[in-house]
Amino acid sequence: MKCLNVEQIYLYLEKELSSAENNEIEQHLASCPKCKNAFEERKLLLQAAESLPLWEVPAELAKKVMARIDSAKILPSAWMKAAAAALASVSVTLLVIFLATGQNLSTLLLGVNNNLWNYIRNFLPILIKLFKLASLLFGVIRHFIGYLLKTFSWLAELASPQVQLTISIIVIILVAILIYGIKRKILVGEKT
Amino acid sequence: MSSLDEDKHFIERTIKGEKEAFELIIRKYQQSLLNYIGRMVGERELALEFTQEVFLRTYSSLQSYQPQYKFSTWLFKIASNFVIDFWRKKKIDAFSLDERENSSGQNPPLQVAADEKSIIQKFELSQLRIKIEDALKEIPPQLREVFIWRHINELSYEEIAEIKGLPLGTVKNRVFQAKELIRKVLEEKK
Repeated sequence: MKCLNVEQIYLYLEKELSSAENNEIEQHLASCPKCKNAFEERKLLLQAAESLPLWEVPAELAKKVMARIDSAKILPSAWMKAAAAALASVSVTLLVIFLATGQNLSTLLLGVNNNLWNYIRNFLPILIKLFKLASLLFGVIRHFIGYLLKTFSWLAELASPQVQLTISIIVIILVAILIYGIKRKILVGEKT
Repeated sequence: MSSLDEDKHFIERTIKGEKEAFELIIRKYQQSLLNYIGRMVGERELALEFTQEVFLRTYSSLQSYQPQYKFSTWLFKIASNFVIDFWRKKKIDAFSLDERENSSGQNPPLQVAADEKSIIQKFELSQLRIKIEDALKEIPPQLREVFIWRHINELSYEEIAEIKGLPLGTVKNRVFQAKELIRKVLEEKK
């Protein structure tokens, strides 16, 4: 086995490697004084880092926070805020229509209800088809992004940031050329 | 009850209006949060103030907490954003890839150097701890942050990746860079 790299030594010390990898490293350490020395040094560094003193927490810290929490409120989550905003918008719209047309509120609501029902009846089949299409598209995009992320994570583990950047730029250029080529093909097709 | 279930239980009780349940959360996480914030900002008084602020911000946002994630990673995400805001207000571009990291350029060498000096072995463990504390202040905050989480707060690489929203490989690489940079600082200051 060739000499260890430093990252391997750390991962071995942190028990992040498989048992087969651990065995290989142990065998190498037993026969290579240079790597053994590097290993002992990193071991000491981690030992010291992992036993650094804790910052002393004042006994009254929790009480101080609790005293301030008495005047604080749990804020509504983002969707609750959105729902409140939507309700407020609908109310204001209804009020404006009521003021502008002079119709009483029940007639107005009845009219809105009828119109809404007509829209739903007409557009429901289209909506269902669109929904099916969207879910299909979403599935494809999700898989594509999944593979893309896996590739990036694999790349990040293997290559340095400079190499990653170079590969990313090359891929972007290739994709741009591909899109441009497809666009040209379509345009040529349209002309003929 | 597992730690994860315990956290969810405390949060549910807090949301229902039982504020005392949140005090249990504070007591559970105050030590690790102060260890992180303290070493990120470097001053005790400021660290204590920030720790309180982070707990307050967490309390106010409890409705947004998604139980499929670990509470501790969510808490550290809030703390990390808080620290980043602090650096930004101080107009320190601390969390973009830092000058020092870029100009010194490359990642630390992967191979064990042939003439590797045993700098660290010259120190007693207690001395070494003091040296590491000093060296931590000199490495870029984005490396310091992951080092603290990994080796002081003992979070897993996966948890750190979740907090920062980064690929696992990037996190492992950053922690490695942090350790080797600390070693380099120790070597320079021997």
